[in-house]
This record gives sequence, C-alpha cells and structure tokens, in this order.
Amino acid sequence: MRIIDIIRRSGRNLKSSKTRTILTALAIAVGAFTLALTLAASNGIRSYTDELISSSFDPAELIVGRDKEISNTGAPSDKPQEYDESVASISFGGPGTSLQVKRVSLADIEAMRKLPYVEQVRENFQINIRYITSSANDKKYTGSADVYNSAQKPEISAGMLPSSGDIKKGTLLLPETYLSALGFGSAQDAIGKQVRLSVQKPFSAESIQQLLVSAATGSAPQDQAQELQKVFSYTIGGVTKKAATDFGTGIMPLSLSLGDARELYDYTVQGTADYEKFLYVFARIKNGDNKQNIADAKADLVQKGYFVQSTEDLQKAVGQFVDILTIMIGVFGLITVIASVFGIVNTQYISVLERTREIGLMKALGMSRSGVSRLFMLEATWIGFMGAVLGVLGAYGLSVLLNPVITKQINLDDNLLVFQPVQIAILILALMLVATVAGLLPARKAAKLDPIEALRSE
Amino acid sequence: MIEVKNITKTYGKKDNVFTALSEVSFSAPEGSSVAIIGKSGSGKSTLMHIMSGLDKADSGEVLMGGHDIQKLKRKQADNFRANEMSFIFQSFFVEGNQTVYQNVALPLEIAGVAPRRRKQLIETALKNVELIDKINSKAKNLSGGQKQRLAIARAIVNNPKYIFADEPTGNLDSVTGARIVELLFSIKDSIGSTLFIVTHDHELAEKCDQQVRMSDGRAIDIHQKPAQRPVRKVML
Ligand SMILES: Nc1ncnc2c1ncn2[C@@H]1O[C@H](COP(=O)(O)OP(=O)(O)OP(=O)(O)O)[C@@H](O)[C@H]1O
Ligand SMILES: [Mg+2]
Repeated sequence: MRIIDIIRRSGRNLKSSKTRTILTALAIAVGAFTLALTLAASNGIRSYTDELISSSFDPAELIVGRDKEISNTGAPSDKPQEYDESVASISFGGPGTSLQVKRVSLADIEAMRKLPYVEQVRENFQINIRYITSSANDKKYTGSADVYNSAQKPEISAGMLPSSGDIKKGTLLLPETYLSALGFGSAQDAIGKQVRLSVQKPFSAESIQQLLVSAATGSAPQDQAQELQKVFSYTIGGVTKKAATDFGTGIMPLSLSLGDARELYDYTVQGTADYEKFLYVFARIKNGDNKQNIADAKADLVQKGYFVQSTEDLQKAVGQFVDILTIMIGVFGLITVIASVFGIVNTQYISVLERTREIGLMKALGMSRSGVSRLFMLEATWIGFMGAVLGVLGAYGLSVLLNPVITKQINLDDNLLVFQPVQIAILILALMLVATVAGLLPARKAAKLDPIEALRSE
Repeated sequence: MIEVKNITKTYGKKDNVFTALSEVSFSAPEGSSVAIIGKSGSGKSTLMHIMSGLDKADSGEVLMGGHDIQKLKRKQADNFRANEMSFIFQSFFVEGNQTVYQNVALPLEIAGVAPRRRKQLIETALKNVELIDKINSKAKNLSGGQKQRLAIARAIVNNPKYIFADEPTGNLDSVTGARIVELLFSIKDSIGSTLFIVTHDHELAEKCDQQVRMSDGRAIDIHQKPAQRPVRKVML
C-alpha cells in the first residue's frame, strides 16, 4: 500500500469519529499551547534582556574587577583571611556575615590605562544623593547620580549632548521624571537652570568622635553634622527620556560629567574603605566593536589577575537564567504532553477494538502487518498534528491579544511573546513524533490481530 | 487447477482436541465454480480460510497455480491475496462511513495499483453491479442488497483469479439473493475467475460446476454438475 493512500485513509478514519479525535487532539493542544507560549515568552525575554544589557553596557567595554565576587555572591568563606589593604568587607546582615571583596585600586587603574589595547578606563561612581532641589520650589527629593557615558547616549527631550566626549563640567542631565517635582514647567524650561545636590559623608570613627565631643562641650551638634554634608550646584544641560528598556522601577540616576562625579564620589566615600578603591571599573577597549579585540583584551586582563566580564558574558549569564526559567515552565508543558500520550494510546486502543472487522477485512485482502500498523500509527500522527497546530494557533492568538497589553503595561519596545517559525515547526514535528510513538502500541495490536477472529466477530 | 489435498485442521490441545477438518481433498479447474455446502459447524468456513491462506492447516496442501498456499511466507501470502484473491462475506463488511468509491478502492490501494488506473477499474466494477449512480454515496446509506453488490464490486475490481464467497446471500431476501447470485456468476464468467461459494441455498449450489458437501469436517460427497451448462447472459 502506498504511503499516501495510508495517510489519506487514516485521515478519513479520524474524520468518521470526529468528537473523539478532537478531544484527544485537545489534550495534545494544551501541551502544544503551553510549550509554544513558553518558547515565545523565552524568546521575548531573551531579546529584551539582551537589549537591556547592550543598552546599559557598552559592548566595547569590559567590566574589570579584582575579585570574582563582582559577579558571584556566593556564601562568605568561613576561614579567617589575611588582611589585605585592597580588600574591603561588605557586610550584609548580622555579625560574621561579611563578604571579603578585593577591590580595584587607583594603581590598578593607572596600570590598565597604560595597556596598549585600553582606550579609556571609567571608574564606577555610583553616588547616593541626600537630596536634589532647585530654587524653583525648594522642595527636596532623593535620588542617585551616575557618570555620563558618551558611548551610550541617552535620548533627550531638551538640551544638547556633545557629539563626542563628556558633557561639560558643572552641568548635569536631569531625568524627565524630576521636571514637575522640581517645579519646572517643561523640559525646555529646565535647560540652563540650576539644581543643587546635597551629599553626605558616611559616619567615620572621627566624625562620630567629633559629634560626641561637641555634644559634651555643649555646642550645637547640628553644626557638626552639617560639616558631614555638602551641597554642589549644577546647571541643567539636558533632560533625558526614560529608556525603553527601563522597567519603570526605581528612579533614573542623574548623569554627571566624569570630573564632577569623581568629586562627589570622593567626597561621599572619603575616609571609608571604598575610598580610591572600586568594586569594578569599565575598561573601554580600542576597536571594541570587533569581538576578537574584546576577547583578546579579556584574556590578557584575566592573565594579569583581574576578573573580567564582557557584555556578551552578561548576556550569556542572563540567557542561562532565562533558559532555566524556560525549562521550568516547559516542564509543565511536557507533563501535559505526557498525559496526552495516554489519551492517544487509549483512543487508539478503542479504535482498534471498534474496527476489528475492518482490520480483518484489510488483512484478508492482503494488507501486510506493517501496512495495518502504519495505518494506525499515522492516525496517531494526525491527532498529534492537529493537536499541535491547534495549540500553536491558540498560543499565537493569545499572543496577538496579549502583546499590546503587555507592551503597554511594562513599557516595552518589542513584543514579549515572540514566535519563531523554525521553533514552532520543530515543536509541531516533535509532537507529531510523540503522538506517533504513542500510537505504536495500539498499532502493534492491530497488526497482530488474527484476521479470522476479526472476520468472525459480528 | 486448484487442488485441495488431505487438509486436516484441529483446534484445542491434548485432551480437548476438536477436529474441524479431516483429510479434506478435492480439485477444481480454473474458472469453475465450487459450492461448499453442509450443516452449520461442519467446517465450511474453516475450509475456505485455509484455502485462501488466512488460516494454517495442521497438514495437507492447497495448490493454486502451482503454489502451495499453505507454505507461503506471510509476506508472499499477503501479496498473493492482494493480487489474486478476493472475498465476499455474509455480513457485507463494507465501511459505512466511507463512500462507495472509497470502499471499492481498498483492494486496489492494498495491491498498490497506480492511482491513475484505479478510477477506471472502480467505475467498471460499479457499472457491473449497477451501483455507478451511488459512487459518491456513503456506504451506510445503501440497502442490504446494494451493500452486497458493493461488496461484490470490491471483490471483482482487481480482476482476481479466485473469489471466495461465504454465504453471500445469507442476509438477503430470496429475490435479492437470486439477483446477487445471477450477478456474481455473470461477472465471474466475464473475468474468468474461479469461484468458491459457501452456501445453504440449494438452488445456488445447483448452479455451481461442483458441489462439495461437508459433514463434521469431512468432505462426504463431491458432486460434479452434468456437463452442459445453461448459457448465461453476460452483463458488461
Ligand atoms: N478458533 C476456534 N477454536 C475452536 N473451535 C473452532 C474455532 N473456529 C472454529 N471452530 C469450530 O470448528 C467448527 C467449524 O467451524 P466453521 O466456522 O468452519 O463452521 P461452518 O461450517 O462455517 O458453520 P456455519 O455454517 O455456521 O458458518 C465449528 O464446530 C466451530 O465451533
Ligand atoms: Mg461459516
């Protein structure tokens, strides 16, 4: 018997028991639906995180630290560790739970700057601001500040950015979200206006001592506290838009020029373990758009004892996380598929029993065992095909409905549910294969049926 | 020549052996018709199953065109049945949910006849049984007589050498049964097949060239029809 005839016949057989076929296919459809959605979500999340990373990090820059802890927040070691000036401890929680982290020193940075393949080294200044205020309404708001990164120019709604290099010292870029809070009518309105940032020194041993002394001598402690704070003034050079990849959680940092940022940062960390030491710095590699250059630079820095991560490494790490998530959700889909396998086995067994006579006739007419077996297996394949297509269509339909809503809700540029034709094709084929395998047992039963007994059955 | 030689068939084991056929022998020339008659349970169907290779005899031979059907491998037996044999059953065994056309197509598909040739063969077969106007009807909507005509069309569509009919008129009223028999014989003659027909119907048995009477698994009487046969009208 020709395979095309078998396929047609099996299709017809299914048509003649529509309800049962559809119900069995629906079970597969649920699995296909879950798996298709999982894949689509995973595609979407992956492209979203890739975009997020490549927009937050310059692919031409390497993140360079002295300690693998910059990426790994493993459990702190229980062994006493030798003192090292470059090591600072980060404590998180109760006593004993501090993490020893080796820092990048100024000497390290100097050495890095001299490396032939390094174009620029950018320290990682992340500054907590006590408050920001403007004379427009004198209200105070909390915030944070960061260094302006010329390689990752933000979108601006007013003002001007230099075509290359840093923004002018003494100017800053203000996020849109601050406009009305600080009493500016519009973005344009804010340009050229002054804002003041107040920063605070952490309490050091001396400062606390000073405080105690002043308390003992009766002088106002406030004056003393005042000395631990300082206000810096800046001109607003531009107003930045909220990035498309920003989740909408937290306040965007203000952007300062490198010089200003260093000044603020040094002020806030002076006298602490963080002073002139960095958890990590950004090393910009010459011709860093070439992946080979990045890889070579990374290899050399690693050899020099640094711990280095490229944008690609970050993407990979996040990708792995997305993979694990995908697998976890995918397992639910797989469980559904396994359940539907039993459905197919059951349906096909019933089908074989119902059509004993037909099988007997076909065998009497000379249909081979393999022919009979193929007929029933292909019926299962059909069921798998229909279920898979049904599920995928359902998932696609849902994505058409949901994508605009999600995109709006979390402010995305792209769709979160992304269907890839190749993935979908593989999914459908895989489900057809699974269904076929499920049909194997009933098909064997049909093939082995004794035609005489089958023909005797009335 | 078709030769059945010393066919013995038993069911059950040891203490419980039942001999369904015992040393059955007869022969029939190609193109002739053989009626197998006898009481219920005498082994008629069993004999037919063994002759067509569907069942295995304990001993004996069935020679058709020089081959011993009983000794063929399963694949060869399948091929032999697909290309040279066909069956008609008392309860029709047509597929109700399929159309008349699809029912008749089954043996052609099994035999692997090229799709282009099928249509013509099917139409010829349906014309012969006067069902051509029902070609696209669902088989379940046919009357009993029409269903059996459909079964005949299915049995002759591939021009088989051997047709096995197990009580083909058993489920039909006498008038319809007589018409079906008429049809069966005329088609058989026109394509030159050998017809084996199991029946309780005396009139039908009389029409056959040879009658084999079965009783308790033995062929107790083999009766040749007197030489001259009435000329039948061939419908084509
Ligand atoms: N699988 C089997 N196991 C045991 N006995 C069987 C089996 N198949 C058939 N028989 C017995 O063999 C005998 C012959 O059966 P067979 O079907 O050939 O009779 P028959 O002549 O065709 O009868 P009928 O006219 O009622 O169809 C019967 O007694 C039957 O019970
Ligand atoms: Mg019988």
